[in-house]
Amino acid sequence: MQKKGVLLIAKQFWANTFKIKSVYLLFVIISMLFIYATYSGWKNYIVQNDIRLHFQEKVRQSWEENPDKHPHRMAHFGSFAFRLKHPLSMFDFGMESFTGNAVFLEAHKQNTVNFSEASFSTGLLRFGEISMAMVLQVILPLLIFFLGFASVASDKENGTLKIMLIQGVSWNEILLGRSLGLFGCALVFFFPIMLVTVFLLLLSKDNLFTQEVILRYIGICISYVIFYQVICMVTVWISATSKTSKDSLVKLLAIWLGFFILLPKTTQALGNYFFESPSKIEFEAAIEKELIQEGDSHDPDDPHFQALKDSLLQAHKVSSVEQLPFNYSGFVMREGEKISTAVYNRHLGKLFQTYQKQNNLSRLIAFINPYLAIKAISMSFSGSDFSAYVDFQKQAETYRYQLAQEMNELQIKYISNKKLGPNDVPYSISKKHWEEFPDFRHQFVSMGTIISREGSSIIALLVWSICSIGFIVSQSRKLKAI
Amino acid sequence: MYTLLIKQFVLSKTVLFSFLLLFTIGLISILIGKQFLIKQEKTIEAVTEQQEQHIARNVSFHQNDLGLLLYYVRFALINTPERLSALSIGQRDVNPSIQSVTIRNLEGQKYDTDLNNPSNLQAGNLDFGFVIIYLYPLLIIALTFNLLSEEVEKGTWRLVAIQSVSKGLFLVKKLSIRALLTYISFFILFLLAAFIVAIPLTEALVVFFLLSLLYLTFWFVLSFWIISFQQSSSFNALALLALWVFLAIMLPAGVNNFLANKYPVPEALSTMVQQRDGYHKKWDMEKEGTMNKFYAHYPQFKKYTLPHQGFSWLWYYAMQQMGDDEALEQSIAMSEKIRQREKVSRWVAWAVPTMHTQLQFNDIAQTSLQNYIRFLNKTNEFHEKIRLYFYPKIFENAPVLDEDWKSFTPEYVRGEYSISWLHVFAPLILIISPILVFSIYNIRRI
Repeated sequence: MQKKGVLLIAKQFWANTFKIKSVYLLFVIISMLFIYATYSGWKNYIVQNDIRLHFQEKVRQSWEENPDKHPHRMAHFGSFAFRLKHPLSMFDFGMESFTGNAVFLEAHKQNTVNFSEASFSTGLLRFGEISMAMVLQVILPLLIFFLGFASVASDKENGTLKIMLIQGVSWNEILLGRSLGLFGCALVFFFPIMLVTVFLLLLSKDNLFTQEVILRYIGICISYVIFYQVICMVTVWISATSKTSKDSLVKLLAIWLGFFILLPKTTQALGNYFFESPSKIEFEAAIEKELIQEGDSHDPDDPHFQALKDSLLQAHKVSSVEQLPFNYSGFVMREGEKISTAVYNRHLGKLFQTYQKQNNLSRLIAFINPYLAIKAISMSFSGSDFSAYVDFQKQAETYRYQLAQEMNELQIKYISNKKLGPNDVPYSISKKHWEEFPDFRHQFVSMGTIISREGSSIIALLVWSICSIGFIVSQSRKLKAI
Repeated sequence: MYTLLIKQFVLSKTVLFSFLLLFTIGLISILIGKQFLIKQEKTIEAVTEQQEQHIARNVSFHQNDLGLLLYYVRFALINTPERLSALSIGQRDVNPSIQSVTIRNLEGQKYDTDLNNPSNLQAGNLDFGFVIIYLYPLLIIALTFNLLSEEVEKGTWRLVAIQSVSKGLFLVKKLSIRALLTYISFFILFLLAAFIVAIPLTEALVVFFLLSLLYLTFWFVLSFWIISFQQSSSFNALALLALWVFLAIMLPAGVNNFLANKYPVPEALSTMVQQRDGYHKKWDMEKEGTMNKFYAHYPQFKKYTLPHQGFSWLWYYAMQQMGDDEALEQSIAMSEKIRQREKVSRWVAWAVPTMHTQLQFNDIAQTSLQNYIRFLNKTNEFHEKIRLYFYPKIFENAPVLDEDWKSFTPEYVRGEYSISWLHVFAPLILIISPILVFSIYNIRRI
């Protein structure tokens, strides 16, 4: 096999492809799609993040405006966490539209993250969304199939293949050359899009192209290039093993439907079918049940808190809680928050594990279906995947816990233990404490975390890449020219 | 000749494979729908049981303080799922079918979501509606794209041309066999679905079935139209697939993008913040202002006045009421945004069979966004009913144990969707007719 031969064949394929007029029409159609996808992604990012940042500021202002008061009032006043969109989510929407955006954070209670885009959807969201990543993952492969279905099969039909083989060109050279040519054509569509993405990130009013984003961006580019290499080789292989170009086209279209439309959805549906997750009612009931066992601070006769009270009284050698040197109800609430949060987090962890099990089927199938691999990798780098959402939820919950406990600490420390009479002025502490408590800010995870989380998808894609080359090189001898 | 044509068609491996694949996925989709329905029913049962225990437990804790008891007690309202919802799950997986609310301010409670794995939501439900809307068209394309071109490419077309009276009629016969078998397979699947999920025979089921048939017909006619241009098999396959991609993915997804960008809903977030501030900030204000607003809203409670000192539940629930009252404007603005989204998508759907069929399926199965909005409105009424029942009792500090707590079982909302046959069928008929005319025109010239 000669490198020169491969390059020559690649160049010839490239030149021939751009002689076809309909290719330019396709280029125009795809470009229009891209412009629309880019515009929607960019606009959505700007508008949604503006809204969420605006409200995050507003609730902070509202928090700080509170006058002097009892800290437990502030624990109930609470705060909100708004989920920020990652800059690259304008490239790949991922699960953005299906995850909640805002959650109310208060003492004693973990609220749901509400107002996902899906909850306002009229049902059309079911048809999908047009993002740059969607066009790159679903539509561009279809285009590659279209450009490459005849790559070898048509030579077979008109007899040029036999002539080439007689002239001493090897099967390997033909297959690798055509794959390379096709790959080149695919990149003509791919690179402009990635360039546009860079410009969008650079041109935004606050520079979004930070080091972190650059790393993620490079990760995305490399993954897609590998993905197209796989797709191009599969295309050429199918073309080489088909008798006619019509057969090749029909096979490739069937592969596209199977691998890009049917399999992903069926896989996720089956994962959901086999690993049943609890409903909200069941989930809450299980937590309540466990809480009653462990200690419910809202139950006046709870044994755990009775025991706690007795041991406190004994330790401080006093006969009633009012004689304790610190605020007793603050102490009870701190203990209650600790127990209930631990119970809740344990159950939430279990729930996420069930979800992971449901998702793992898709991860596994990625070894059979490279589309699932690139989909997972792309979402993950774009900060719009399942783990990114879980991260947000955990950050919000951590903040909620800190808020509640900080207010309990303030109560324990500054609020007198003496019960007030009906005519007394209610206890309160200075509002400067509110300002001292830090604001919530959603943080994105690091590149290392992403790579370790998406390890299996990255391996799946690499396995496909290496195996597709190895397969073509080793199996090409068995091909027939007719 | 019919029998020969049938034999030729049925004996093809691709045909058998396509039917088998579709049948398998169809069955899976029915099972998924059934599982969904069972889960919903189990949840409803659990809610009923849980509410009873929950009330009993709290009553035992707070026997002397009705105001405090009702701070905790939740009352459930259930948006009863139709059995047909198993075939078109629609928005029911995203939006909850159960509201479990206390008499405290409602705007802070009613938007709470269900627990969902976002990956599942993203992949979308593989329900029977999906099989009809996405997969049947693909089957139809696979069965028909080479109806004519195959004969030409194999060289048999000339023979047909000589031997048959009308070439157009021959094609129609070939097509009708494929259509008939497709309809039969669909009918069997539909019967299975109705049987497995135990869907009662109602107008809704009939309309669902007829709409599906009409939708399949749309794809047959579309395919026939493409065939009538007498292009090669490759061209037909590509053209039909492109149409499918356009109608089933690009166009609806594009409209969805447009809606999401054109009508963002910041009102949802401001409602959320407003209800909190509306209530909580009242703690730091003069009680009189709060009470005056409360009396203005509910003049019937003017006879209850605050004690001169100390805490009173009257003041507390008046503050809670202010949360809802002050968020009302934003809440209405949010509904208005959602209504606009509905309006635009329905308007576009008239011209796009895939979108129209999906939205109609959801309407018929009562799993649409509209159904959910209606449920939210019913929740408002339900909440007010309970509040107005308990308010005077709380303000009078009625004894807790005088109340018959066992009678507070979950309440149900049943859909009141009346089907308009014109709305369901007219758009598809209007689209099918001209395409059919064009195809017949083309075919007659062969």
